[in-house]
Amino acid sequence: MEVVSISNLSKIFNTGKDNEVEALREIDLTVTKGEFIALIGPSGCGKSTMLRLIGGLIPITSGELSVNGKTPTKAREERDYGMAFQSAGLLEWRTARKNIELPLELMGWSKAERIKRANEMLELVQLGEFARSRPAELSGGMQQRVAIGRALSFNPALLLMDEPFGALDEMTREHMQDQLLDICHKTESTVIFVTHSIPEAVFLSTRVVVMSPRPGQISSIVETNLRAGDNTADNTKIRNDERFYKKVTEVREALYGK
Amino acid sequence: MGKKLFLLLNKAAVRRILIFIAFLVLLALAYTAYKAFGQALDDRQRDWWFIGSFFPRTDDRNMPPILDILSEFGKSPRIGGETYISQLFSGALFTLREAFVAFVVGSIVGLVLAVLLAQSKLAERGVMPWVIVSQTIPLIAITPLVVLWGQANLDFLPWEWKTWMSVSVIASYLTFFPVAVNGVRGLLSPSSEHLELMQSYGASRVSILWKIRFPASLPFLFTAFKLAATAAVVGAIVGEISTGVSGGQGLGKLIFEFARTYAAAPERLYLGVIGAGITGLFAFGLIVLVEKTILNSTGQQIRE
Amino acid sequence: MGNELTRFSTWLSTALKWLAPLIFGVLMVTVWEVLLLVINPENFLLPRPSEIFSELIDDLSKISDDRSKIWAATKTTGFIMITGLFWGIVWGVATALLVTLSRAANETLTPIAVAINAIPIIAVAPLFNNWLGLTSPRSNQMVVMMLVFFPIFITTARGLTQVDSQQIELMNSYAASKWKILRSVRIPNALPFFFTALKLVAPLSIIAAIVVEYFGGSQNSLGALITASASFADYSKAWSVVVAGSIMGMGLYFVALTAEKITLARDRSPRLLLIAWQKITGRTTGA
Ligand SMILES: Nc1ncnc2c1ncn2[C@@H]1O[C@H](COP(=O)(O)OP(=O)(O)O)[C@@H](O)[C@H]1O
Ligand SMILES: [Mg+2]
Repeated sequence: MEVVSISNLSKIFNTGKDNEVEALREIDLTVTKGEFIALIGPSGCGKSTMLRLIGGLIPITSGELSVNGKTPTKAREERDYGMAFQSAGLLEWRTARKNIELPLELMGWSKAERIKRANEMLELVQLGEFARSRPAELSGGMQQRVAIGRALSFNPALLLMDEPFGALDEMTREHMQDQLLDICHKTESTVIFVTHSIPEAVFLSTRVVVMSPRPGQISSIVETNLRAGDNTADNTKIRNDERFYKKVTEVREALYGK
Repeated sequence: MGKKLFLLLNKAAVRRILIFIAFLVLLALAYTAYKAFGQALDDRQRDWWFIGSFFPRTDDRNMPPILDILSEFGKSPRIGGETYISQLFSGALFTLREAFVAFVVGSIVGLVLAVLLAQSKLAERGVMPWVIVSQTIPLIAITPLVVLWGQANLDFLPWEWKTWMSVSVIASYLTFFPVAVNGVRGLLSPSSEHLELMQSYGASRVSILWKIRFPASLPFLFTAFKLAATAAVVGAIVGEISTGVSGGQGLGKLIFEFARTYAAAPERLYLGVIGAGITGLFAFGLIVLVEKTILNSTGQQIRE
Repeated sequence: MGNELTRFSTWLSTALKWLAPLIFGVLMVTVWEVLLLVINPENFLLPRPSEIFSELIDDLSKISDDRSKIWAATKTTGFIMITGLFWGIVWGVATALLVTLSRAANETLTPIAVAINAIPIIAVAPLFNNWLGLTSPRSNQMVVMMLVFFPIFITTARGLTQVDSQQIELMNSYAASKWKILRSVRIPNALPFFFTALKLVAPLSIIAAIVVEYFGGSQNSLGALITASASFADYSKAWSVVVAGSIMGMGLYFVALTAEKITLARDRSPRLLLIAWQKITGRTTGA
């Protein structure tokens, strides 16, 4: 089943002005249910722009784009996806739990339901005892986990993540990757994940979409799928597997245009 | 309650208060020393020192001894009449009431304006310059005229219009400004990330306003409230002064009276200054306390 | 063709940005005029803008034979305002610079200044009159100066001291002198703070200058003129004096604004003018 389908999509900012920028050119991509797409490319090539187009946060310039068979705006209004950014983007005046409750409040959940779900999410991201902590009292990695809990809280079938682990140290990052995969398998989510780390892209994804510098175009797509559908595969094993290194090399070559 | 208050007065705050008291003591000492210096001079030296009245002269008319000033508080205009300290106290209460009404009215107007202006860039560009221009109009100087408005045809109001209400309206002209300006700043302070996040939830403008913009602007608003509280007291006093004798029984009226009769008792000029100072500090300190309590509970940083 | 159109729409939106305040202003004045024509044709208490302005122009037209009261009053009050503002800024900035020398001085003096700033300075006007002479402009200047001093000092000191500690550490790692740090880190950091305060005190100084004139000073001043006109029930006169005062306040504000723009803009004004010219003509000169 197609979750996201993009054809001949282009995006130009500030059309007709001095500061016109062609951010994306003629993108074609289809994402099916359960896939984990990693988007990788040099900085400024339009990865975030692509994510925001899919999320219906900015209008497309030309081409076609549908999410769950709807326009992105409609999909957004029907809360078809959850979103997470590089910085956790928590509201400083809300506790961890209240931050997770935010989308649920907007969707009109009752208070009891909200608290129940938020607590479940906190357990999921292993922050059970930090429910009442404010963002300022949490480390960067903990904040990011709260943000992921928030993105997942209303069970969106699609997750849009923009370098969510970009600011984390390597150890926390790998730990978060494991948790994210675990959560996604449990919830059977489809994920589009922007990163600038090649190993991260390879480790997480079923497919790596490699983009070229501005104007952003898809230069190649590398099938990774190291788990081959086996969700119980040992993550450490995969990270040390020869296939992993091969794919890393393959993506690197695609990225540098070899 | 007492314990809570004590907690709010943390070490830094206590130190600041002590420093201020030390400053006042120093000021009194410097005053006395300066006076002693001036009085020790002979006539010829005195003419040289106080040439062109650049420095205040040190005779008792210009600079009454501190103890005389303090004892003036306990005196009264007529034997058996109300003492000056109790006049000042009830005057301060009267002025604080005006200031409070001005603060509330100005804050509401400022907030509404801020919400409207934060809605569109064009509205902000069109109206903001006029909000600034409004502050260059010395409306406060024409309080007498505005008081007359109050007396003209306000029968449709369910309550009787009093002069002090006109003073409040005038003072609120000074208080709405910081609230409007800082309000817009605060409402526009959320990062684009927070706004996009809300959009990704399909949130309406109203819920973005309630859940993101208002809470984010709280620290900005308290900065404004501190300015507005001070401005409200200033506005109330100036308003009373410029409404002259008809101004009721506020501090401004007392200051004006003391100034008019200062030849008889220069000490009273100082009573007015001290009374106004304490009143201004009280209003300011009250907002600081509320700010600390609320921002502590929301976990937000106090903006200086 | 399409390009022309987008260029036109860009030009239009730029023009609208500048026109918006003008349009809104004209709208307000018109509403005021028309509203008063309808509900208050006798001009009781609040005159129409047209009357206020004709009164103002009428008075100012007498400048040549030296009979313009408003002009004379504006000169008196303007002198007090500008000198008070000037010395308030000088002392405020000087004290702020002094305070950066020592952390202890900063932590002692700033809270005192914050407290004093919460006191209605205007209340000391009678005191200054007593000290410096009732009709002398000096007491009025002192009040304006004090009113200006505190916001300038507090805000500038904040800008000078609240700098990125990493930048200071970096400078220290180059063994930079205190003076060098002041010039290349502290002062650039403080400039926006200073201008924010300047824009705040510029309109305040005119209000203060007028209000202290209730207590004393020259009889030939804006404050005295307002009081006199109001007591003769000559309301359009009183309002025209108010307008004269606020024109002065606006002038000061725009001076402050322009000073800020020029100081803070990386491009100096000739380049800004060039860009503006290109925007207007839609032409790019050279490359
Ligand atoms: N709102 C915008 N207005 C104008 N240009 C933009 C905007 N957003 C992004 N761009 C430009 O589009 C290009 C792609 O940006 P982005 O998608 O953020 O890149 P990436 O996320 O891959 O680093 C950049 O050149 C950027 O400057
Ligand atoms: Mg990006």
